[in-house]
Amino acid sequence: MDLHLSPAHLAFRDELRAWLRANLRRPWRDELRDPAHGEDSLMELRRAWQRKLHEAGYLGMDWPREWGGRGATAVEKAIFEAEMAHADAPQILNTLGIGLLGPALIHHGSEEQRRRFVPPMLAGDEIWCQGFSEPGAGSDLASIKTSAVLDGDSFVLNGQKVWTTFGPWADWIFVLARTDPKDRYGGISFLLCKLDTPGVTVRPLRQMTGESEFGEVFFEDARVPREQLVGHVGEGWRIAMTVLAYERGAVGLAMANRYGRDLAELAAACRELGRTDTASREKLGRLLVENEVLRAAGVRMLATLAEGRAPGAESSLEKITWSEFDKRFRETALDLLGPGGQLLRHAPGARSEVDWAREYLWSRAGTIYSGSSEIQRNIIAKRVLGLPQDGR
Amino acid sequence: MRFALSEDQALLQRSTREFFATEFPMEQNRRVMEHEPAGFERAGWGHIAEMGYLGLTVPSARGGQGLGAVELAVVLEEAGRHCVPGPLLDGMLAATLLASGTGHDALLADVLAGRRLVTIARDEALYAGGRAAPTAFERGRVRGTKYFVPFAASADALAVATADQIVVATGPFAATALPTFDLSQRFAQVTLDGPATALGPAALLGRVDLLAAVGAGAMLLGLMSRMLEATIAYTQTRQAFGKPIAIFQALQHRMAEMLARTESTRAAVYRAAWCVDHDDAEAPLACAAAKAWAADAARLVCGEAIQMHGGIGFTWELDVHFYFKRAKTLEQHYGSTATQLERALAAAGY
Repeated sequence: MDLHLSPAHLAFRDELRAWLRANLRRPWRDELRDPAHGEDSLMELRRAWQRKLHEAGYLGMDWPREWGGRGATAVEKAIFEAEMAHADAPQILNTLGIGLLGPALIHHGSEEQRRRFVPPMLAGDEIWCQGFSEPGAGSDLASIKTSAVLDGDSFVLNGQKVWTTFGPWADWIFVLARTDPKDRYGGISFLLCKLDTPGVTVRPLRQMTGESEFGEVFFEDARVPREQLVGHVGEGWRIAMTVLAYERGAVGLAMANRYGRDLAELAAACRELGRTDTASREKLGRLLVENEVLRAAGVRMLATLAEGRAPGAESSLEKITWSEFDKRFRETALDLLGPGGQLLRHAPGARSEVDWAREYLWSRAGTIYSGSSEIQRNIIAKRVLGLPQDGR
Repeated sequence: MRFALSEDQALLQRSTREFFATEFPMEQNRRVMEHEPAGFERAGWGHIAEMGYLGLTVPSARGGQGLGAVELAVVLEEAGRHCVPGPLLDGMLAATLLASGTGHDALLADVLAGRRLVTIARDEALYAGGRAAPTAFERGRVRGTKYFVPFAASADALAVATADQIVVATGPFAATALPTFDLSQRFAQVTLDGPATALGPAALLGRVDLLAAVGAGAMLLGLMSRMLEATIAYTQTRQAFGKPIAIFQALQHRMAEMLARTESTRAAVYRAAWCVDHDDAEAPLACAAAKAWAADAARLVCGEAIQMHGGIGFTWELDVHFYFKRAKTLEQHYGSTATQLERALAAAGY
């Protein structure tokens, strides 16, 4: 066993920390506390932050240099995420473009597609959303019905996507569409569609947080030029699996850092509020313990990457671990904070360090998106435990 | 960076697994637990000593193996997996404590050779109301009452904790057996009123506490791993509605959760062990978290094993109950969950 970061990784981390000290304006959350700021302000702040990171060469961490990436290892990418969380940096704006589509284009796209789409994606000039889920295809993603029919030089798209994260803010969408109704997996293709294409309508969906980060996208005879097909016709499912592997990523350590920061704030709040009774201490202690376990799992994942192994089904374990903990954490936090924990961000007396009310609500999303906890347990049962499969 | 065991550690794991499988098969463990009043056999204890396990974390200059907490975890995980009864963890901790103090060289040598048994007498909290007067060491005599002293009836000497120091008292002791449902352990209430010799300051227990957390955590991990394997195997054999019950999603998801708890415990225990071996500043927090988590996880995993075995899971005949019971003992000793939570909070400065 050796859980020390290598000298090269330590140097990378220290350089990144120095850069963050010089470039991350804190407390950036305060800028958003003014009720005059809506969701737009947050998005613009995220765009500006993305550009800053891009200029410093910190985007597309593990992409090849020729495509504007840093050519870094998976370990460095995980360290990058962990440090961003540790420093409480804002998220970038184009999370889905850079996090998901970029890798898909690098693995499966054509040279022209990479040249056309990657630079504006990195610069935050073109924002992407993900068109996977449909009203009739969520956990059972392969039953998508949105159709793409080749007509001359373009595919004609018809159908509906839903829970489209960033839909209302995006310029482009990457779409899983059915090119063969008879072939469940082999009949799916991966297309890129501009959202101002005639026949495409985006409608924001209001989430339980009150925000509209996601939406629904309707296609009515929308024409997508043939050169915006990624890979070949029928390769969509395979490409989607690449995308989902990136989506689940190695985030345990980053999550433990983020929760650890919020936990320290919660501990301080408990002291201020006089919640130092045994029952409250036990609650706080259990959260601390669980977050340390998450940290240990994150360190183990980092070591797995450092040994050059791809995580595979371990990502499913990691995702269940952090997302289920997030729910318990936020519930207990509100419990300890009392009614004040429910105050909206700009209410008088709301705690400034963490938006506890928003986090409480958001924690309900983590066990649904990117493969629900139930789907992750199916994956574990099948791929890790090797349990028989024809029971459902 | 590497989470996997080193070659030497993996070798230790293999040889230990083989050793316990050969020398401590479950039928024999069951016989010892059911019929041997001491809770272990001297013959088996001799073999454990020959393997060098008792001095695993004792410096080589003092006759031990000079290994670390990771190796301790490796051995105890296997002991947990095979449900080896007896004072293995207690003996290892006592040997480490003896080696960190002064004097007592002959006793330490006998302990490492398996000729004499020493365990640590610590707990003064009464199990049924009230609290005894603190144990005191004055003019060469130690006086007091200790509760839940592990294997006191078999111990040749006890390392006794007083408020500010550790002293060694030599038996025989007035020990009243405290039988519990866990037959892999034996506890007694010991009334001390006899000569003792100073070993060192109470602060010596600091390292012992960290090793106890790692060791108990590793044993819990071994219990859980075995129970998960047994459950996976059984549910694929047992038929209901014309199918192996492992096919049902209601059970699959619960087994997936058992794996999630087992693997998160593995990460926490081995990371904690590694932190101890590298004097990492995170060690106290990591150890407390690992032990507290392992205890909850093992209770869940062993409990689920009973449930998924159905009626047979509730019988004496099946081995599962030994694991379930031992998990509870390990939870409440070697730093209970309440103690570990306080240690974790203190370590984090909360």
